[in-house]
Amino acid sequence: MRTVLKVVDNSGAKKVMCIQALKGKKGARLGDTIIASVKEAMPNGKVKKGKVVYGVVVRAAMQRGRCDGSEVKFDDNAVVLVDKQGQPIGTRVFGPVPHELRQKKHVKILTLAEHIA
Amino acid sequence: MASQVLPQALHMIPRNQVQPFNPVKNRGFSAFLSRGPSPLATSKVSVSGFHSKFPVGSSFSCFARRGFVVRAESNPEGEGEAEAERNENGVEEPETKAEAEVEGEGEGEGEDEAEEEKPKEPRKPRIKLGDIMGILNKRAIEASDKERPTPDLRTGDIVEIKLEVPENRRRLSVYKGIVISKQNAGIHTTIRIRRIIAGVGVEIVFPVYSPNIKEIKVVKHRKVRRARLYYLRDKLPRLSTFK
Repeated sequence: MRTVLKVVDNSGAKKVMCIQALKGKKGARLGDTIIASVKEAMPNGKVKKGKVVYGVVVRAAMQRGRCDGSEVKFDDNAVVLVDKQGQPIGTRVFGPVPHELRQKKHVKILTLAEHIA
Repeated sequence: MASQVLPQALHMIPRNQVQPFNPVKNRGFSAFLSRGPSPLATSKVSVSGFHSKFPVGSSFSCFARRGFVVRAESNPEGEGEAEAERNENGVEEPETKAEAEVEGEGEGEGEDEAEEEKPKEPRKPRIKLGDIMGILNKRAIEASDKERPTPDLRTGDIVEIKLEVPENRRRLSVYKGIVISKQNAGIHTTIRIRRIIAGVGVEIVFPVYSPNIKEIKVVKHRKVRRARLYYLRDKLPRLSTFK
C-alpha cells in the first residue's frame, strides 16, 4: 500500500502507487500481482495518469528466498503492468527479471525480458 | 517379596515363548517400575544366580530400573530370547530380541556383578554435547567437497558461479560478480555476489556447499579493506560492473 514502484515496460506509465496486494496479508513480494494507481505517465501512452491497473512485481528490494537456500534481491522496486488475465499490456520489458515468474505462470513476461536473473 | 515369587514364575514360563510377550510385558513393567528399589535390592543375588539358566521371563524385565543401559552381548549359552527391553526411557521399544542378554540389574553397583561373565570394555572417549554440531558440519562439508571441491573464497574475489536451476534444466545459469560478504555457518556457509545486470544492481546469496552449484571459479581479486562491502550499494554502478 502506497509503495511507489517503477514501471519497466513500454505501456506508457512511469510510476505507479500500489493500492492493494492481491494474495498475502502482509503485502506483495517478488512475483506477486498488485493493484496500482498510475501516478506519472508519458504523454502518449496506453495508460493515462489516474488509471487503476494491475501489475506484477518483477523486482523488489526485499530479498526473496529460493528453495535451494539462495536469495535474490534487486536494487529497486519495479512492476510490469498487466491486464486482468495476466497478459502484459506493453510489448517490451526492461531490466532483469527473476525466474520466480516461471512458477507464477508469467511466461509472457519472461519471454519479453532482457535478462533472467 | 518379589524374589520369592521369582522361582515359581520362572518355572511357569515356557522356554520358547517369544513374541506375544511384549504387550503383556509392558503392562507389567510399568507396574513394577512404580515400586521402589527394594525389590531389586533383595532379589539381586538370586537373580544373578538365575539368569544363566532360565530364559528371560517377563518378570525379569520388570526388575530393570529406568536408567538401565542396553548391553547387546550374546550369551554363549544362547538363551537370548531376551527382550532387551530396558531403555534409558523405560518402557518403550523392545529391541534386539535375539542375543541380548538381560542382566536384571540397574546401574551403579549392579553393573559389576552383571559383567562377571565378560571382561570390561575399554572406555571410549566421550563426545561432548557442545562438539556435536561441529563434527556433523565437518562431515557434511567433507562429503560435499568430495563431489565438488570448493575453492577458498574471500571478500573481494570476483567469482563466476555455474548453477543448475531445476526449472531451467537444459543449460547451467552463470552468475558473475564480486563477493561482498561471506557468512560462515558450517554447511550453510553463504556468499553474497553483487553485479549490475542490465542497469540494475542485483545481489544474490549462494550457499557455497549446495549441490546445485556445479562450479565456482575465482576470476580475479580486488583489493578491499573490509570484510563486508555494503558500501558498493551507494557507489557508482561502474564499480559493480563486471563483463
